[in-house]
Amino acid sequence: MAETIKKEEKPVADKITVGHVHMSGCTGCLVSLADNYGGLLTILDKYADLVYGLTLADVRHIPKMDVALVEGSVCIQDKISVQEIKETREKAAVVVAVGGCACYGNITRFTRGGQQNQPQHESYLPVGDLIKVDVYIPGCAPCPQLIRNVCVMAYLLLKGNKDQQELAKKYLTPLMLLADRGTEACGCDLMYDVVNQGLCMGCGSCAAACPVRAITHEYGKPNVNREMCIKCGACYAQCPRSFFNFDVIPEFEGIMDAIDAALK
Amino acid sequence: MSKIVEISPTTRHEGHSKLVLKVDDAGIIERGDWLSITPVRGVEKLALGKTMDQVPKIASRVCGICPIAHTLAGIESMEGSIRCEIPKDAKLLRIILQSANRLHSHALHNILTLPDMYLPGTDTKINPFSPQEPVRSVAKRIQRIREIGQTIGEIAGGEAVHPSNPRVGGMYKACTAHAKTKMYDLAKEGLVLAHEQMDFMIAILRNYQKRDWAEVGGKQIPIPKTLGYHNQGYMAAHPMYGSSNLDDCPGWNPDRWTDVRPWDWYMGEGEVSLADPGYPIGGTSPVGTKVNPQMEACTGVPLYDGSPVEVGPRARLVQFKNYDEKGTIGQQIARQMEYPDCLYTILNALDDYNPNGKILADHIPQGDGSLGWAANEAPRGCDVHLAKVKDGRVLYYEMLVPTTWNFPTCSRALTGAPWQLAEVIVRGYDPCVSCATHMIVIDEDKRLVAQKLIQ
Amino acid sequence: MPLMRHSNEVREMAGELGKYKLCVSARSADKAILKRAQDGGIVTQLFKFALEEGIIEGAIVAGPGDEPWRPRPFIATTVEELMSASGTKYNISPQVSWIKEATRSYGLDKIGIVGTPCQMQAVRKGQLYPVGLRDVPDKIKLAIGIFCMENFSYQSVKQLVEDHAAMKMEAVKKMEIGKGKFWVYGQRGQVVQLPLKVTHKYEQPGCHVCLDYVANLADVSTGSVGSPDGWSTVFVRTRNGDDIWSKAIAAGCFETKPIEQVKPGLELVTKLATEKITKNQKTVEERAKFGVNKSLRNPYLGPK
Ligand SMILES: Cc1cc2nc3c(=O)[nH]c(=O)nc-3n(C[C@H](O)[C@H](O)[C@H](O)COP(=O)(O)OP(=O)(O)OC[C@H]3O[C@@H](n4cnc5c(N)ncnc54)[C@H](O)[C@@H]3O)c2cc1C
Ligand code: SF4
Ligand code: SF4
Ligand code: SF4
Ligand SMILES: [Fe+2]
Repeated sequence: MAETIKKEEKPVADKITVGHVHMSGCTGCLVSLADNYGGLLTILDKYADLVYGLTLADVRHIPKMDVALVEGSVCIQDKISVQEIKETREKAAVVVAVGGCACYGNITRFTRGGQQNQPQHESYLPVGDLIKVDVYIPGCAPCPQLIRNVCVMAYLLLKGNKDQQELAKKYLTPLMLLADRGTEACGCDLMYDVVNQGLCMGCGSCAAACPVRAITHEYGKPNVNREMCIKCGACYAQCPRSFFNFDVIPEFEGIMDAIDAALK
Repeated sequence: MSKIVEISPTTRHEGHSKLVLKVDDAGIIERGDWLSITPVRGVEKLALGKTMDQVPKIASRVCGICPIAHTLAGIESMEGSIRCEIPKDAKLLRIILQSANRLHSHALHNILTLPDMYLPGTDTKINPFSPQEPVRSVAKRIQRIREIGQTIGEIAGGEAVHPSNPRVGGMYKACTAHAKTKMYDLAKEGLVLAHEQMDFMIAILRNYQKRDWAEVGGKQIPIPKTLGYHNQGYMAAHPMYGSSNLDDCPGWNPDRWTDVRPWDWYMGEGEVSLADPGYPIGGTSPVGTKVNPQMEACTGVPLYDGSPVEVGPRARLVQFKNYDEKGTIGQQIARQMEYPDCLYTILNALDDYNPNGKILADHIPQGDGSLGWAANEAPRGCDVHLAKVKDGRVLYYEMLVPTTWNFPTCSRALTGAPWQLAEVIVRGYDPCVSCATHMIVIDEDKRLVAQKLIQ
Repeated sequence: MPLMRHSNEVREMAGELGKYKLCVSARSADKAILKRAQDGGIVTQLFKFALEEGIIEGAIVAGPGDEPWRPRPFIATTVEELMSASGTKYNISPQVSWIKEATRSYGLDKIGIVGTPCQMQAVRKGQLYPVGLRDVPDKIKLAIGIFCMENFSYQSVKQLVEDHAAMKMEAVKKMEIGKGKFWVYGQRGQVVQLPLKVTHKYEQPGCHVCLDYVANLADVSTGSVGSPDGWSTVFVRTRNGDDIWSKAIAAGCFETKPIEQVKPGLELVTKLATEKITKNQKTVEERAKFGVNKSLRNPYLGPK
């Protein structure tokens, strides 16, 4: 599998086009993308043209693009937001929900309006409640390395040879299934879908993943402080008993080497 | 006769905002309204009834560029309300986190500024993502400075974007001696790079100042010598960190703050009467577009001593270091001048920091509903949070974030500039618009809100 | 003592034993380690070597917790701390919970971690899909897996020891599963053996869908099965693991014997691995028709 990526050592002239669509998010997701540091420059040199992203570029209206990285949930009382998210679906071949807000609502799940100067801005929905989303990257803030991996895999999927496409598809499948699973997430998922299902084995991944330290382990099993949880979805997605794909993860050494090489 | 131009959305800053500009026949701005059009997530309202531990974590998510400011101002306003003093080593970790965030944020802002600037001696604007030299080395240096800031922040604060380590009463985890050494090494490396970057940016900014024109959408637009000048005052609570109601000599005073609604401040209904499809990229709004800043603005208008004030790097330098250069370039240069101090502050705090010291208060009161406030000097200016906590729950919460303070000030600074350079002025404030949506508590005769709260 | 590397090629053992470059029987050359270790002291010795050589700056191990035989994961940055954690505690120690903190307030760039096969799966998933593990993936420098048929809750072990073996937890010197029995050794020299059919009900339910016995995804994995008492069976799996293992061998850290020359050898390891995986595969399939037209979740098919 390592060879699969390495064959493509020379940068392919044909880059994919990527845009960053900012809904009601905090731009922390974009900062995470930028936190690939030197790697971001390599991605832009070799694999992806940034064709849209109000924070980074002057393009004011959503263009056609291969991959839209959508950050933030959608305020359904804000006409522009609703219009832009629909436009994003029309213009992008692949829509990736980046971060807890886009995937699950995150802190905007607590929003209830009544605030100056737009007290009617009361309802925020995860992107997947309004359009079909292809890939999920949960977490708050999402992890730069996961965003990077998805970008590289999206490139292989759209521009790679047959083997590369195969690998990319396998890698992205669980993140696509997460998108299919729905738009609700909470620390409670660990109970509902892992512990209650007789699947928890006490690894501790969930606690490590939680960005607000809401999870502790009591005799090896997770305890979620529900008054800290912000509903980012990181814990469940990180849990090896939410998904574990034997056709990808055992190849970790080759895949990690290959991604490193691709970003050199 | 004056005409109305609308630039919507504005670019190269955080969040969604737009400019509605009344211009004269020569295209010079007579009156500018810069306003947020970012949906209002209503954090102050959703905070009510939640725990004092959770609210600052939610507040952090208001903005991913100044999350440290919101986390710390949020937590310290809670601590101010419950009257909880934190141990010295916890405070030092917060200071390290704060300075590290400013380092990364200023560097990020350089990327957003450079496309307006020229390579000295040329008429070529800078594309920071270009693989060509000399730009590539600069981009790499910016990314390395950011990496250093984010990594130090991650060690002291738990996470680089939304910090997980700070909590009401102190910090969750002390940094080990090993972590201290690592931060020290990184800061030493960062100091060298920060000096280089500061010098580079100042040279670029001075070069812009010497130019007569800038190219915008294929036209040469004259650059006025007074670009971005305004006559408003400045507000800053501290050169680097901040202040709270628990301080002996607080650096901010809630009695001097009032708030007016956008209704009183912005233009009313109007219609776009001037359009330029060549304005990069995608043009300005077409003629006939309805505008109504009064209704559309998503923020309030906070005033200090009854007027809008500027907050941010220049406000800090004016207040504490006798800095006096006006205008957009003066503001941008002030930002660059803050680079080294971010690192000196980290190094000094590390010198004082004891890895075995206490990082959590022995006793964390649950609050009796008193008002607490904390004014944190975010990268882009003073970020004031006010809170009342009773029995561990938030009764009242208010965020007066930097860009909210700057909206009206910047609007005034637009006057006199060619409309094509309005965004250059806006970017001088390093705006963070998602932050700047907040609730206002005021009664009709604009009585001092804080007084009302305290009684 | 000759270098006991009998094969330099990657041996593709699709299935139960996972991929490995080398398999040997080994034990630490350090008497002090052997004295405290569960088996051949492989884990403690290899971490000690890696720590001293600067390959890792700290290791997440399962040290003593709040109650006797209750483990608590912590980050060992000294040899003394490593030593304090040696020996097997047969109940859950959420090792991975520390993996991010190690890179934060501990400031580590090079981390070691020991854990059960499922914990190795968690580590590798975390490296390839770091959803909430920013800046962690490239900092895992030595992941040591320990063989595992099943784990127990603390209460389970307590009932096994205090009810079935009639011993007080704090009076136990060592516990061990081997030769088809659960062994409890008392401080005063008493030895109680329980047949495994007694222990089954106490197993952690999550273990019944586990499809890995010998920590296929570790850099180096080890367990007692296959080797004589006081020795361990060791699989060297990744390039990174191979590199560290070779250096440790060259430094004289371990005594080794070819796995073919020890009893009961690889055959038993294969047999037990096959048994575990077959049984648990069946459990996974039965879960699909657990209720009336209702199934229990299957994590291997996706997150739904
Ligand atoms: C629950 C469990 C079941 C096991 N089942 C088998 C089996 O069926 N067959 C087999 O051959 N071997 C099994 N082992 C492994 C075996 O008991 C030894 O741990 C292994 O051989 C390592 O011994 P050592 O002398 O090399 O390590 P030592 O030098 O003694 O070090 C042991 C290391 O394991 C860590 N550790 C101890 N308890 C735990 C725990 N609960 N979770 C995670 N890490 C822990 C310690 O931190 C220590 O670093 C099992 C281990 C556990 C924890
Ligand atoms: S991550 Fe590990 S400890 Fe947490 S729920 Fe999943 S299996 Fe259990
Ligand atoms: S428990 Fe933590 S990781 Fe899980 S959804 Fe809540 S905030 Fe996110
Ligand atoms: S049997 Fe599997 S799930 Fe259970 S502890 Fe061992 S490795 Fe983990
Ligand atoms: Fe902000």
